[in-house]
Order: sequence, then C-alpha cells, then structure tokens
Amino acid sequence: MRVDDAMLREDPTMSDTFLTADPNDTFSMLEGMLATAAPRVRSTDVPSVFEVRALDVSYGSKRVLHDVSLDIPEKRITAFIGPSGCGKSTALRCLNRMNDEIPTFKMRGKIRLAGQDIRGKSVNVTALRRNVGMVFQQPNPFPMSIYDNIALAVREHESRIARSTLDGVVEQALRHASLWDEVKGNLKGSALSLSGGQQQRLCIARALAVKPAVIMLDEPCASLDPISTARIEELLLELSADYSIVIVTHNMAQAKRISDKVAFFLMGRLLEMGDALQVFEAPQRQETAEYVRGAFG
Amino acid sequence: MGPLQDEGRHRIGSRVGIALCWAAAIAVASVCLFIIGYLLVQGWHSINWTFLSTDPVASMTEGEAGGVRTPMVGTAVLVLFSTFLILPVAIGAAIYLAEYMDERWWITRIVRIGLETLASVPSVVFGMFGLAVFTLGFFKFLSASGTEGGNMAFGRSFLVASIVMGVHVLPFVIKVAEESIRNIPLSQRQGALALGMTKWRTIRKVVLPAAKSGIATAVVLGMGLAAGDTAIVMLTLGGTMTMAVDKWWQVGNWVEVLKGAGSTLTSYIYFNSPAGDGNSPGAALGAAFVLIAIVLVFNLAAVLLFRRQQRAA
Ligand SMILES: Nc1ncnc2c1ncn2[C@@H]1O[C@H](COP(=O)(O)OP(=O)(O)O)[C@@H](O)[C@H]1O
Ligand SMILES: [Mg+2]
Repeated sequence: MRVDDAMLREDPTMSDTFLTADPNDTFSMLEGMLATAAPRVRSTDVPSVFEVRALDVSYGSKRVLHDVSLDIPEKRITAFIGPSGCGKSTALRCLNRMNDEIPTFKMRGKIRLAGQDIRGKSVNVTALRRNVGMVFQQPNPFPMSIYDNIALAVREHESRIARSTLDGVVEQALRHASLWDEVKGNLKGSALSLSGGQQQRLCIARALAVKPAVIMLDEPCASLDPISTARIEELLLELSADYSIVIVTHNMAQAKRISDKVAFFLMGRLLEMGDALQVFEAPQRQETAEYVRGAFG
Repeated sequence: MGPLQDEGRHRIGSRVGIALCWAAAIAVASVCLFIIGYLLVQGWHSINWTFLSTDPVASMTEGEAGGVRTPMVGTAVLVLFSTFLILPVAIGAAIYLAEYMDERWWITRIVRIGLETLASVPSVVFGMFGLAVFTLGFFKFLSASGTEGGNMAFGRSFLVASIVMGVHVLPFVIKVAEESIRNIPLSQRQGALALGMTKWRTIRKVVLPAAKSGIATAVVLGMGLAAGDTAIVMLTLGGTMTMAVDKWWQVGNWVEVLKGAGSTLTSYIYFNSPAGDGNSPGAALGAAFVLIAIVLVFNLAAVLLFRRQQRAA
C-alpha cells in the first residue's frame, strides 16, 4: 500500500483492491509472501514514510521532548527504546496527533507523512489516524462482538459498504492479524471473552481493517505472556512486508528480534538512531551501550 | 515474643470498630426490613382481585374506599410520561457533562450548582411552583380549563404533573447517567479516536452503547422516584381520588386523560390514611403494598441492569 497525498484528505481516492479482492486469493498471496519472508537483516536504506524534524514537545510547562529529528523507513520495523518516562510514547502519539486530545500539549517542529505536513491546514485528523493505526499497551477492544469491533471501524470510513463486502473485509482483517482460525466460529461472541493476546491481535486487526499505511504499537506485549508475545512478534514480521511499523518496547530481546531500525531515547532526547544491528552491536554512545546491556532502566 | 506475634496494640481497637460498623449495618437493615415487612403484612389483608380491579370511591366510611385500579393506571401514566419527557434532556445533559464540559469553566460550575440545588429542592416546592406556573392562561392547553374560567388554567393534569415530576427527578437521572458514561474506560475512547473516529462518533458508537445499561439504570431509578412522590401529585394532579375521564382505556380518550386530573397510588394512600379525608387505613395499606411492590421491582431492575454494565465493562 502506497502512501500518497490523497490519503490524508477527507476523501481518499485509494484503490479499492483491499475491499474487492477475493479473500482466498489474497490469503494465498500472503502465504506466498510468508514463505519468502524478509530476511532478518533488511536494508533500512529505503524511502521514509515519516520525517520528524526538530520536534519539541511540552505538557504545560514541562518539556518532555527536545529537538527530536528522525526518519521512519517504509515497510520496516522501527523500535523506540529507552527508560520509562523518556518520551517514547509522547513521540509516538505525535505521529497520529493523539496528543492533540491533551489540553496542555504543545509542540513545535515538523512532522511529514509521505512528504505532507501532518499539521497542515488541509489535513484531516481523522484521515491521518486512519492512515496511521495505533495499538495500545492494554488491549482495548470495544465491549461488543468480535465482528462488530472490526465492522465499526470499517463502517466509520465507508458507511455505505454492503454487508457481504463487509463480511469479506472483516475476515480479511482477522486473517491478516492471524486471528481468523481462532475466532471464525465465534464472530458474534464478545470480544471481551478473548484472551489478552487474542484481544491484542483483534486490536491489530481493527487497525488493519481501515487500510493504514503505518501501524504504531505502544508496548503491545507488556501485558501478555511469552507465547502470546511470540505470536505478536511473528505477526509484526509478517505485516512489515506491507506496512511500516513503529513499536515502543521495553524489552531489549524483543527489539533485537524484530526491529530493523532502533531509536534510543533518553530524558526527552533522541540519543542515537540507527540500524538495529549497529545499535545493539556497536552503539555510538556510552549511554546506549549501557542501556542495551541492561545497565539501567 | 517472636517477630510474628505483635503485642496486640491495635487489636482491641480494631475489634470494637468492626463491631460498631456491623451493629450499625444490622440496625439499618432491620429498621428497613421491619417497615417493609409491617406494610407488606398489613397491606396483604386488603389485597384481592376486587381491590385491584375496582375504582376508588370517595367515602368517609371505613372499608368503602373502593379499589386501586385508576390509581395504579395513574402511577403508570405519570411515571411513563414524565420519563418520556425528560429522557432526551437527561441523556443529552449527561453526555455534555461527562464528555464536553471542562470543570474549570464557570458555566460548568453553574450547571453543577444548579443541578445540585434542583436535587435538594423538596418536591412540595416543585409542586407549588408548578401550580403557580401552569395555572397561567397561557398553559390552558395542558390542563382542562373551564372551572376557574377567565384567563386562568385549571393547572392540574397528568401533563402538568408529568412535567413537574420530570423536573424533580431530572437531576437524579442526570447524575447516575453521567456517572455511567464517565465509567467507560478512557482506553476504549482512545481506541476509537485512534481509528479515526471523531469525538462525537466515538461517543455515539462506542461510549453510549457501552454505557447503555448504566443509563437504563438511571432511568429506572428515576421511575422509582416518580412512582413514590406524593407532594407533586397532590398539588398538580388534582385533589381527587378518581380519574377525570371515565372510559380512560379508550384510545380516543387518551388526550383527555392526559389533560385531565387524576390520582396515583401515593395520593390514594394519602387520602385514605388517617391524615386524609377518607380514613380507610386498610385500603391505604393495601395501596402501600402495591406501591412498594412496584418500587421494589423498579429497584431490582436497576440492580440487574447495573450488574450487566459491570460485567460488560
Ligand atoms: N498527559 C500528560 N501530561 C503531563 N505530562 C505527561 C503526560 N503524558 C506524559 N507526561 C510526561 O511526559 C514524560 C514522557 O512520558 P512518556 O512519553 O509517556 O514516556 P515513555 O513512554 O517513554 O515512558 C514523562 O515525564 C511523563 O510524566
Ligand atoms: Mg510509554
């Protein structure tokens, strides 16, 4: 899926292949992709989906991000790491303007998605958020059926969608989030009856259903057991063939396992950013070296 | 003494405290059960099919007060109609208070103080106020006029009583509904916003459906309050035991019923109690039995609905 200017407008003129494709067809295509899944070392020398320049953020009088500039590579996994309170979530939430909901929030600097200023006049926040999906630390499915969790998101942007098409989109999203096989017999069941890991995958499916270009996850495995965590990691690796992914994580092993690029934050500053291998094996800064070794935080 | 055995310094104090709390709780429960039990046992004697299916009779003789058919209907009409009238306002206000108002705005403070004042005004004051307002000629269309002639309206009818009762229960309904809206976790709202839903769509599609049973609880509690109030009925529904319209069950008469005076279980109880004109305590107790049963059903429904919300959240 390509990011282009039209995606940020109220009326996206994106291709509808996602909606009209025969689910089985797409599924076998996906399986094909998995077989040749990207090698673990991938070049990050690819176009950027996000460009952040000189980002300063404060809540009221409290400054929490200082002069952060970074690029998020397209169709790669970028990890934000750093000790608690260093501003990772804040940085993430700037990218889909979720911070706008906080009255004391103030920011300076430029953030461009596919070259377009996300705070520009013509930009519609709802269109931005549709294109930049977000998954939270605590799974937060809506208290309704599994089907409706996804249908609600889809209808929000495509109110006239036919029931049969919608069924296809829901199935598609659940398959993409590798949840379909576990829930296909129980689509009308409550989302709250799923396990934590399943709920988190449902939240990912929900985000996927509105056809984003970027998926951001803020410590998505923090409340999950190791097996559920492994499933999510596997899923993210699969999804990174089609989506640009940004993940905040406290778990160094996780960052090592899945990320292509790593940004290390410390006390509101971006201390170091580079290819995952480099950051973990040959960090440039003393602090980074200590942090990735587990010396603090 | 080992480290695991303390000297019992706080032990006696704790026991006394706990015992006092238990005693208080048991005292409250037994007073409550005694009152309800007394009324139920006493009232039970008067309950029979005739009592439930005949209309009240204005009589000074003990045992000739008739039955409670129209008062039951009156209670139902008043409860349903007042709820129906305030529902949109109550839900709208609850959404506004829970979702949009900033506690720092002066308007928020005024609304909050207003609601609290409204909640603490005794219902007899509302009744008096309602009577003062709705006897103005301008409001003739709400109550059958004629008797008092000129440019005065009669000022007493199911419509008038419903409006006044609605204002009386409004702050309680708003309060409970607001609370249940606030109880929907922030994480779900954020989930919706992050999907590109606007705030209003988030409220419509995620928050309100999740708060549905809490809001229903609020409404049912309001109905219980309306069913139990007496002063507003006495003042604005008319000082009568009977329904103004005879064939009230005919659809064609319903507008007239709403514009006419009538009675409810509470006013029936008042008239037949030793304090009223009727002096038929047996009938009053029977009506009390019916009323308590109705209010208990409302409260039970509220509890069940509330549980459902708890489970869903
Ligand atoms: N809504 C808020 N209001 C005020 N301060 C906040 C708010 N959210 C986060 N902060 C502060 O901003 C700093 C960065 O927080 P956050 O971005 O959540 O860090 P991280 O995700 O790296 O743990 C912390 O000091 C935190 O206390
Ligand atoms: Mg965080």
